[in-house]
Amino acid sequence: MAKHVVTMLPGEGTGPEICEAVRLVIDASGVDIKWEYEDIGLDCLEKYGTLLPDKTIQNIAKNKVALKGPTTTPIGTGHKSANVTLRKVFDLYANVRPAKLIPVLKRPWDKIDIINFRENTEDSYAAIEHMVSDEVAQCLKVITWPGSYRIADFAFKWAKDNGRKKVWCVHKANIMKMTDGLFLDAFREVAKKYPDIESGDIIVDNCCMQLVRNPAQFDCLVLPNLYGDILTDLCAGLVGGLGFAPGANVGDGCAIFEAVHGSAPKYAGMKKVNPSAVLVSGIMMLRWLGEEAAAARIEKAMFAVLDERKHVTYDVGGTAKTDEYAQAIVDKMHAKA
Amino acid sequence: MPTFTETAKATKKKRDIKLVGIDMYIITDKGIPKFDDIGPFKCEFISNRGTKVWPGFVSPDLLQVNWYRCRFMATKDVQDADVNTFLDALTKKGWWWSAAQKLWNYDGEAGFSKAY
Repeated sequence: MAKHVVTMLPGEGTGPEICEAVRLVIDASGVDIKWEYEDIGLDCLEKYGTLLPDKTIQNIAKNKVALKGPTTTPIGTGHKSANVTLRKVFDLYANVRPAKLIPVLKRPWDKIDIINFRENTEDSYAAIEHMVSDEVAQCLKVITWPGSYRIADFAFKWAKDNGRKKVWCVHKANIMKMTDGLFLDAFREVAKKYPDIESGDIIVDNCCMQLVRNPAQFDCLVLPNLYGDILTDLCAGLVGGLGFAPGANVGDGCAIFEAVHGSAPKYAGMKKVNPSAVLVSGIMMLRWLGEEAAAARIEKAMFAVLDERKHVTYDVGGTAKTDEYAQAIVDKMHAKA
Repeated sequence: MPTFTETAKATKKKRDIKLVGIDMYIITDKGIPKFDDIGPFKCEFISNRGTKVWPGFVSPDLLQVNWYRCRFMATKDVQDADVNTFLDALTKKGWWWSAAQKLWNYDGEAGFSKAY
């Protein structure tokens, strides 16, 4: 019996070839994982009439951990986003998005090592919108005390468990005194429980400016959903773009790890795209599963392959195919063993 | 010369508006509310923090607060006066509510979002 059972959600477009490359690397790391493949995304529409079949939901509920490839939400068709539905069904309230400099990607900063904790379930994403007259649309921004408290607690606990020093609350409570004020109040209440972790708060617009001027000053950021959506991509841009940006959606009973980039359907089947974002999400997953040694092995090998630039994909100046890049990482792991 | 406001208003297409339901925001600490039909209005779904909690499966782990959006759809043609009657009836049944939002179709298209 395998030590871990993980649901693999290849998604559509380039997702399947990316996930195969990632599986090749993770399996070669020596970690004992049984993968159970399930469908998700556009390819499910014809077969199941939904982007997220019940069978997939049941499998994730059983395994409680999944690695997901990219999917696309069709615009204007009335189909619910698979990503949003997953967050709702499993109450994956914490979107964890690290942004760390990768040595090979030359950036104008010496150090960036930020972990964003985006509240994932409420704010203006509560899907409460109305045309209140023929000239006016409104969207309710829903911020709750328990929702704010638990994301702050999640962030502080993560910081404590991972040796981080400071957690910032990002808000606009000077203007949205009720909603963002409640978010900030809950954050301050939680901060009292963690006296060993420094805490602070910063207004979101100032935070954006500070991030692009001096990102090294930030450690962990806790954000309501909308600011989190925007600032996590900003942080990804600081370290080189979405091609290397990992992500995890975590609840109390389930965690789904995924890249945040799109499925690039025009490249599907060409084995051209860089699988690194899903791979670093897989590394996050291994750490979540307590497999630090395997995670570190893969990370070291991946950085070495990137640094050599012999077997890298087109987006970082190489000509390697998706699977050739993955095989180079595997070879590097074995060479170091 | 028209002002920007006049120009903007002139570009807004007038649409036919039809009342089709009400979103009621109910406050209760007794869990997911249950409703019988109230006049011409029938409860279609209930959501909490934007997630549908009735009908259908609800994860026991789902965080719920004491504020529910309850969508009532009209089962026949209704007028504003029917909404007033509905609100009176709902209040007399003991429901405490924070707000009511009329739901309109605009040229036959829903002017309101669905719940996840």
